Amino acid sequence: MRQAMSRSCGQGRARLRAIATALPDTILTNADLAAGHAGWTAEKIFAKTGISERRIAAPGETAADLAFTAATRLFQRDGIDAASIDFVLLCTQTPDHPLPSTACLLQHRLGLSRGCGALDVNLGCSGYVYALSLAKGLIEAGMARRVLLLTADTYSRIVHPADLGTRALFGDGAAASLVDAEPDEQAMIGPFVFGTDGSGGGRLIVQAGGMRHGSGSDAMRTANGPSPADLFMDGPAVMAFALAEVPRAVAALLERSGMDLQQIDLFVFHQANALLLEALRRKLDIPPEKFVVHMAHCGNTVSSSIPFALEHALRKNPQPGRAMLVGFGVGFSWAATNIVIH
Amino acid sequence: MTSFHAGLADIFEIPVDQIGPGFRLTEKNWDSLAIISCVVLIDECFGMLPSGAELAACATVADLDALVSRAVAA
Repeated sequence: MRQAMSRSCGQGRARLRAIATALPDTILTNADLAAGHAGWTAEKIFAKTGISERRIAAPGETAADLAFTAATRLFQRDGIDAASIDFVLLCTQTPDHPLPSTACLLQHRLGLSRGCGALDVNLGCSGYVYALSLAKGLIEAGMARRVLLLTADTYSRIVHPADLGTRALFGDGAAASLVDAEPDEQAMIGPFVFGTDGSGGGRLIVQAGGMRHGSGSDAMRTANGPSPADLFMDGPAVMAFALAEVPRAVAALLERSGMDLQQIDLFVFHQANALLLEALRRKLDIPPEKFVVHMAHCGNTVSSSIPFALEHALRKNPQPGRAMLVGFGVGFSWAATNIVIH
Repeated sequence: MTSFHAGLADIFEIPVDQIGPGFRLTEKNWDSLAIISCVVLIDECFGMLPSGAELAACATVADLDALVSRAVAA
């Protein structure tokens, strides 16, 4: 049985080996946002969101461009041979085109081999944990040895300029993570807990741009206010969803792991906004020193927010031990897992 | 209701003694940020999660008190 299990795990266990990130150059400050809007001040925006500035992609700059920069940075910094990557996953909701998959374009642009698998994952703030589960599955089933996991979005392109509340939250950015095989019997990633409630789909949505409402999204945009081509967010509903489901997901993951909260060394949740994160931290009774908050200078970067926060935490402590990652958002969709970094 | 009213005072950035049943939310900044903050506050104080529409329909603190009282009793 042990031999059979070992064989089923391919060449070993999946491990998160490295992370690199990329932000666009343009900075949108709270003062920029508040200018000319009565009742809004930079201080109020920061107090409610925990965000002081966010980065905005330049005209013509796409999520794929940011992902390319993050991946190149990862390869150069860690001396990774692009030819050694045998699968690339890109989690994005702002692809270059409806088709082909942006991951295919990045395979070519990054100089990855023609033997490399490539696919896009269309998920938002839960996406990093989902993509991590795919990378682990590919590696431990023996279908890949080195997975390049890219997360990238330019939500600034889908938020109407007049929607200050939503603009205040989201920042553009990308992350590149390397997941590869470790010859170890101990799981370095997992177990996983997943959850979906599609009844909340309309609470965080861009109605237009797909086949249901037509693809002429730019033509539908208006100068006066958000249109079906813009991101709609029912903030209270999203908040209520997260306050209800995240604690349940954490409890389910702890039960599946056979652990209690005290055995987790670091908690890295999706960096939605400071108000929600602090409410979740208090609700779960997580000590502040174990709870990563990292969004003040980049905002909510959607599926990249967990790797941004994790990279930040690893700079302070390269070997944190066991970290719990929890992603949640558009869908509604959520997922949680543990990773071991030592 | 004491901690709830104290939390409302924090949201509106006013002294807690100004939070009474007749306090009109709509004359202050009862905007999306305040409503989101109120979702968190009600969850912390009463363990319930109201919808944004329910909160947006409240005009006074008395309306909020009635909303949470109904939900707690249910």
